[in-house]
Amino acid sequence: MVTEKTFGAKAMDILLVIILLAIGLLCVMPIWYTFALSLSDKAAAAAGIVRLWPIGFNLNAYDQIMSDEKFIRSFGISLQRVLLGATLNFIVVVLTAYPLSKTTRAFRPRNIFMWVLVFTMFFNGGLVPWYMAMKSYGLMNTVWGLVFAGGLQVFHIILVVNFFRNLPKELEEAALVDGAGPWYTLVRLYVPLAVPVLATITLFGIVYHWNEFFHGLVLMSSTDKYPLQTYIQQLVVTIDTTTMTEDEYKKLSELSNQTLNAAKIFIAMIPVLIVYPFLQRFFIHGITLGSVKE
Amino acid sequence: MTNRGFEKHYYLMLLPGMVWLILFSLVPMLGIVMAFQDFNPGLGIFKSEWIGLENFKYMFLLSDSKTIMFNTIYIAVLKIIGNLLVPLIFALMLNELRVIVMKRWIQTIVYLPHFLSWVILSGILLDVFAFKGPVNGMLTFFGVEPILFLARADLFPYIVVGSDVWKEFGFNTIIYLAALTSINPALYEAAAIDGATRLQRLRFVTVPGITTTIVLLAVLSLGNVLNAGFDQIFNMYNPLVYSTGDIIDTWVYRAGLQNLQFSLATAMGLLKSVVSFVLIVISYYLASRFANYRIF
Amino acid sequence: MKAVKKIGFICIAILMVVVTACGSNNNSKSPSPAADSKDGNKVTEQPAAADPFGKYKDPVTIRIGQGIDPTDKSLPQGDTPENNQYTRHIKEQLNVDTKIVWQASKGKDYDQKVNLAIASDDLPDLVIVNDAQLRQMVKAGQLADLSEVFDQYASPAIKGIIEKTEGRALEAVNFDGKMMALPNVTARGDAVHTMWIRQDWLDKLKLEVPKTVDELAAVAKAFVEQDPDGNNQKDTIGISGPQAGGKIHANFITSSNNTFGLDPIFSAYLAYPGFWLEGKDGKPVYGSIQPEVKDALAKLREMYAAGLIDREMSIRKDAAEPVVAGKSGIFFGPFWMGYWPLPDAIKNDPTANWQAYALPLDKNGEYSPHMATPSSQFLAVRKGYEHPEVALKLLNLLVRDEATFDVSVTLDHYPVRIVYAPVDEIEFTLQSLQEVLAGTKKPEDLNIPGYKLLVDDANKVTKTKLEPYDKNDIQYWNTDDMGAWSRLYSIFVGGKPLMEKRNEVYSLTYSQTKTMESRWANLEKLETETFLKIIMGAAPLESFDMFVEDWKKQDGDKVTEEVAEAVKK
Repeated sequence: MVTEKTFGAKAMDILLVIILLAIGLLCVMPIWYTFALSLSDKAAAAAGIVRLWPIGFNLNAYDQIMSDEKFIRSFGISLQRVLLGATLNFIVVVLTAYPLSKTTRAFRPRNIFMWVLVFTMFFNGGLVPWYMAMKSYGLMNTVWGLVFAGGLQVFHIILVVNFFRNLPKELEEAALVDGAGPWYTLVRLYVPLAVPVLATITLFGIVYHWNEFFHGLVLMSSTDKYPLQTYIQQLVVTIDTTTMTEDEYKKLSELSNQTLNAAKIFIAMIPVLIVYPFLQRFFIHGITLGSVKE
Repeated sequence: MTNRGFEKHYYLMLLPGMVWLILFSLVPMLGIVMAFQDFNPGLGIFKSEWIGLENFKYMFLLSDSKTIMFNTIYIAVLKIIGNLLVPLIFALMLNELRVIVMKRWIQTIVYLPHFLSWVILSGILLDVFAFKGPVNGMLTFFGVEPILFLARADLFPYIVVGSDVWKEFGFNTIIYLAALTSINPALYEAAAIDGATRLQRLRFVTVPGITTTIVLLAVLSLGNVLNAGFDQIFNMYNPLVYSTGDIIDTWVYRAGLQNLQFSLATAMGLLKSVVSFVLIVISYYLASRFANYRIF
Repeated sequence: MKAVKKIGFICIAILMVVVTACGSNNNSKSPSPAADSKDGNKVTEQPAAADPFGKYKDPVTIRIGQGIDPTDKSLPQGDTPENNQYTRHIKEQLNVDTKIVWQASKGKDYDQKVNLAIASDDLPDLVIVNDAQLRQMVKAGQLADLSEVFDQYASPAIKGIIEKTEGRALEAVNFDGKMMALPNVTARGDAVHTMWIRQDWLDKLKLEVPKTVDELAAVAKAFVEQDPDGNNQKDTIGISGPQAGGKIHANFITSSNNTFGLDPIFSAYLAYPGFWLEGKDGKPVYGSIQPEVKDALAKLREMYAAGLIDREMSIRKDAAEPVVAGKSGIFFGPFWMGYWPLPDAIKNDPTANWQAYALPLDKNGEYSPHMATPSSQFLAVRKGYEHPEVALKLLNLLVRDEATFDVSVTLDHYPVRIVYAPVDEIEFTLQSLQEVLAGTKKPEDLNIPGYKLLVDDANKVTKTKLEPYDKNDIQYWNTDDMGAWSRLYSIFVGGKPLMEKRNEVYSLTYSQTKTMESRWANLEKLETETFLKIIMGAAPLESFDMFVEDWKKQDGDKVTEEVAEAVKK
């Protein structure tokens, strides 16, 4: 990239850095607060006096999580789900996007398929019929249920279609001249060129499958089979005492354990944080298309 | 250049996606009929009583249905605008940043709030806007009387929109960033040789390079015109701000607490779908007619 | 174009196959339970005499949905939710096998599961439901009529507990004269909202316990202004209010446990918003639109404006926070505050001396709290289940043997357990424990059916309560065993106001009528919005009159008529 060395440009650079840092700070606060909470004393957390520094520093919450087999089991289920779900999502999205990126001349029913996809993006039958369908497919209590439940990610397909469409036409034509078929063109030509958008949808797929908690609740008949976010969701509740019965008072003190909950939320974020930099480089730097154009 | 023989390969490529779509989206769509029924689980979808548009009328006959509608659209539209513009501006700013390490760090950091659910985040926000919270602390510092932010119906929609944009902009930036990577660096070099200033480059190279992405996201986001965000509002509102903060989803939820409103919920879902879809279709044709650009 | 049609065809064909597949699936499933039931009835008709505790000759299986506590770790190694001390006891005594078809943590998740089970008409044999779910299931014809099996199989103990509710428990499950579920019965202690106050702050500021609302306001003023926590900052709250999402008062739908509500101030004005009362002409009237409510609102508004009530009531994240942090002097709640939030509060400040009183008094000098329905959970049996009487046998057994179980394993693991508590459980426990402390009774004497924790309490009380036994202040308690402290502090401190004389005000009904199902959400919104705005000064007091008119116009009158109908029956 070309750089300028004028004073104005430098001042702007500095201003930019300051603004971006301020925004970054604003975004890191809640995470930091959650982290501070997880390291605080339970009673201090309940009193709401923890701010940005732990009060009554201790590691009890983390000790407790590490010894909780349920948490670890849920973690494993989530990993499994993400692995299967994001991979499947990737394959199906790429496969679907390629034909749809063709013009109607090359693939005549292209528009019909596209509109069906867009239609399903906005219309759904609601929870109950969906649940009954999942049941009749035998997808209750299996990780496959979690993998398929969200349906086809139409938004991802549209993103990839658009990216494919903007790739230079000459490329494919050159490949055709060389006698390449559609499969070869897709895998060898399109996929490598579309790395930024594919990294994006991979990330979206991972994040979706990692964060989604409702399907776990609905599809799993035992809490032992919950994915991590479902497991956490059931613990992090606002306490509504009005619906409690006598024998539930005891558990109030457990449920109101904010330090433990904070620790769980924090630990649950770590995997996404670890994966992120690996994918990030693809959509921050991307790959240069210039070379291809020549 | 077309090759008819390729079509059968295209069908083959579409097959897995279509099976997925049919099984998990189209089949459950049968449930839409519930919107026109007084759904009785004992009778099921096929035998429940048909009541036509009763469920929709019910919603519109409420004394404050206009307010609820307005609140929903108002908050949703502001969110759509904010969630399109802020990430865009941020992506452009980030793109101008030359220290790569810093770029990556900041980008990672801003995407973090996306991972906190509203149950957690609303708690933090209630604290932030509390009487003794940091926002009021700042106001007091500047000599302004502290404000009970969440008791103020006139401020509530903006707090909701602002915090939603704040939560999501880092994540929404990703799509723009991916689009920015596909701009040919040669264009920048050419512009620099022509003596374009930084702003000119931004205007004539960067922005046109991602226009298609911007238009695409703008059109798709129209689908959210009736989605004001249940989780967020449900966790943040209170009766004092019903007049500006009660939306269709929170209302249906409260109605469902009294009585399991399967049909009402489906009807409201359908209403949202129809409005979204109509808007998308219109904007699709407008875009192809006037800009000669097909979004999908 | 040909290809398009072909694809279209394929899609439709696939769709048809799938649709018919699930259709036929449903069809083949739904008649089968009915068919079973015909056979089932024949079988169950055979034994002549109904024995409430009778053991089945052939094993009977119950398929149940179970609400669990996600933080529970009480099951010993090797035991499972389907195989533990309770299920084994049931197998041994009744020859009944427990099969859990699904489980979810109690509360929102559990309700979601039940709702889905109802909507997809795929119910477990036995399931615990709330009032709204029960009415939906009855409407959908999904439930077995339990009238006969209840008469035949309910043990005298259960019948006795239900009778003590003066018909309220039975009324909750009565649909056109049929008993469609088994109601639970909770101790009435939950329903009574008492005044919890920092005795140490009173002592420090040399104040008396406030008896009336005006005295309460004066004390609250002192708590706000005279720095009771001694940090030289004006940062204390007089009276705590509800948190975001909380209610300012209980109502006939959720009638108990409204912790941090302002109920006792309303009832001191003989105002009972949200409850159905008997009007002057003997007809039912809705409590919220009565003039007494306006008086109470006027006072609350005045107190709020003067800064005596938490400024951030109903927008605060967590109402317990200021209590735990030692920043609040007064709040209202039921007897069990020793479980929560007080343990954290005394951990932060071991001298926080919270005491409870049956106050403030009304204009007649009496304490007149509103009371709750004893039944908010119901055990329902799926229509067509072969052995509806199992539900009763399970509960009979539970009530008979509850006191003998090892309580270290939570009773949540007893299949489809609903609470059967004697209405006076708290009061009786307090009395008995005082006798234990006085030496007139021994723990062994207290093995009384129904009072399930009494023996355990009696064993722990001498270690936890320090002398002098007639004083309940915080310094006379041993807090080493927080579990025991929670329970006993709740009983001794929270239970004490329950021994005082009171004027109990019950709602005429605790269930919804037909029009309410479609209109109540709307009316309730109107009410909560108006009341909160009046108290917090966002609307003038006069808007109450407007509210009353609107309420009547917006089908409130129609609802009132329906309630009158329902009550007559």
